[in-house]
Amino acid sequence: MSALASEGQGAEGPPHPLSDEELAKFSEFFYRKTGIRLDERKRYYMERRIVERIRRTGCRSFFEYFTTLKLNGAAGELEALINEMTVNETYFWRENYQFECMTRSMLDEIARRKRPGEPIRIWSIPCSTGEEPYTIAIHILEYWARADSYDIEIFASDIDSNVLKRARDGTYDERSLSRLPPQLRARYFKLVSERRWQVINELRSSIAFGSVNLSDPLETARYRQIDLIFCRNLLIYFDDVSRRLAAENMFEAMSPGGFICLGHSESMSRITNLFRPRQFAEALVYQKPAPSRGA
Amino acid sequence: MTNALPTPSAAEAGARRFTWPGTRVLVVDDAITIRLFCRQILEKAGFEVIEAINGLEGLEQLLQGTIDLIVVDVNMQKMDGYEMLREVRRQPVLSAIPAVMMSTKSKPEDVDKAYAAGANYYLFKPIRPEPFLACVRLLTATVQ
Amino acid sequence: MGLVKAKIRKTKTGSGASDDMVGLSAALQAADPAERRSAARRLGSTTGCEAALLDRLAFEHEASVREMLVLSLMQLGTQDAVRGLAEHLRSEDASLRNAVVEALEAMPDAVAPNIELLLADHDPDVRIFACNLLVGLAHPDVPKWLSHVLENDSHVNVCAAAVDALTEIGRPDCVPALRACARRFPEEPFLSFAIDVAIARAAEQ
Ligand SMILES: C[S@@+](CC[C@H](N)C(=O)[O-])C[C@H]1O[C@@H](n2cnc3c(N)ncnc32)[C@H](O)[C@@H]1O
Repeated sequence: MSALASEGQGAEGPPHPLSDEELAKFSEFFYRKTGIRLDERKRYYMERRIVERIRRTGCRSFFEYFTTLKLNGAAGELEALINEMTVNETYFWRENYQFECMTRSMLDEIARRKRPGEPIRIWSIPCSTGEEPYTIAIHILEYWARADSYDIEIFASDIDSNVLKRARDGTYDERSLSRLPPQLRARYFKLVSERRWQVINELRSSIAFGSVNLSDPLETARYRQIDLIFCRNLLIYFDDVSRRLAAENMFEAMSPGGFICLGHSESMSRITNLFRPRQFAEALVYQKPAPSRGA
Repeated sequence: MTNALPTPSAAEAGARRFTWPGTRVLVVDDAITIRLFCRQILEKAGFEVIEAINGLEGLEQLLQGTIDLIVVDVNMQKMDGYEMLREVRRQPVLSAIPAVMMSTKSKPEDVDKAYAAGANYYLFKPIRPEPFLACVRLLTATVQ
Repeated sequence: MGLVKAKIRKTKTGSGASDDMVGLSAALQAADPAERRSAARRLGSTTGCEAALLDRLAFEHEASVREMLVLSLMQLGTQDAVRGLAEHLRSEDASLRNAVVEALEAMPDAVAPNIELLLADHDPDVRIFACNLLVGLAHPDVPKWLSHVLENDSHVNVCAAAVDALTEIGRPDCVPALRACARRFPEEPFLSFAIDVAIARAAEQ
């Protein structure tokens, strides 16, 4: 897969480098489809990845590739492109400003709507190997002063049962832990083998892991009255219809006034008008309106 | 791009001094050619331009930065121009931002609908550079 | 600590309205929007209920229910769904019109046979919407349809919509039609600008 990268402009090299106009056309199409703005400054990186897709699909030119991509809706190709264009990994403290937004702004607002004894429900989907739900839990325990006055339930789901198994196990290496402040590693993890750390049992057992396909309403029907959803770095991989289905399913799962955090390059504005943008000091999030809206 | 815009008249050139440096205009339209056309006219006149492809993206831009004027189309997916303006007028932090609505619709009731939704000015499409710029200057001069 | 282990609920099946078409169609008229949404959702996987969804769409004012009605019609993707949706392009309600454009562009195979009719409609607004939906329609005839509009449509805003669609698509074989359009409307600064942009985008290296 990385052969081309190391080869550089070798003999097998690209059919031809892309022109400014081609790149502009491509960026716009990509933006329209995914809402991801490609960074001009990473032109070399982008170009290499596009050329890689042209080569792998057997197209002879950018024009041929772009035309099939656009006009024939080439099944699966857009997903492959997105995989090429995005960094597919997860780690503790990723896009931390959203967790800060949770403990400094969103949870207080959610708590104001709660009657005594009513739980606060948070859902991390997709949770992948678990870094995200554990980050949520640690943030709440460490930085939300009122954590002790509420019952807080954290659900964590993914479509892939293999990653869920690893999430439940909660053992991580240095790389995924690198952004976590050291004193928190000492508090919430134990060293289990050389350079491998496991989340303490008390924390592991407080999170409800389960396998869920976010585009399937029957599977999401088990999740209701959720106050805050982290749905980061998933919707960009979906086609238009599954993206809308996923948004509908989240809408159904949420309490009125509940919030959604998306990945930093994702936006609801291309997906659905079910939610309204809300700007907090720390982050832009999306909110499910109260029921009387638009009547 | 070979198509030069008409050179501004003396009166227009004089009006340029009313353009506060860094006055930011949000152009909301799903048509790329319209966004580019507005951008060219506005940048030439000293405005800063931000673009959005539909009403929701427009709202996101409004919430994230300081915008002095909204230029908005009617028909867009996810959220149309009327709904966006109603939302803008409802939100205290945004409600004072002036807005120009532009549309291919030219019946009197279409114009009424735009004003009812919260527009301060209405332009028929295809827009022409001079009246467009005049209206932008008028509305941005009022806020400053 | 404040974290408590939650129990994941069992899925309740068959709750609320019954699952047959008659029951679901009736539930589309329910007073509670949540009930209407749920009925609309379930009708999306039952062929033959386009009429029920389309009838409700004409009256539905709750945005979240409308989204679901349109999404279900999109998933059905039949000729009946397309024709019924296309009728709403004439609606006075902007958000309904635009929801319809969005749905139609996501169902290329079912929409294609209707495009020529829409592009020949007497109402320029319907023709503009038809051009708009061609931007996102994954169909090989899109350039041909747009060229035809550029060469023949008498309405400047319909042509502008076609130019815009071509700008997004960028096809060198449409350049002659773009030039022809420029000649037909020499007095319109916006159109000449847009056509220049479209031609620049279409230029192949
Ligand atoms: C890049 S990870 C995101 C992890 C984490 N949210 C983050 O942002 O760091 C994407 C995850 O989405 C999961 N996924 C893919 N399709 C899904 C679906 N339909 N429903 C739920 N999860 C899905 C994959 O299994 C993968 O673990």
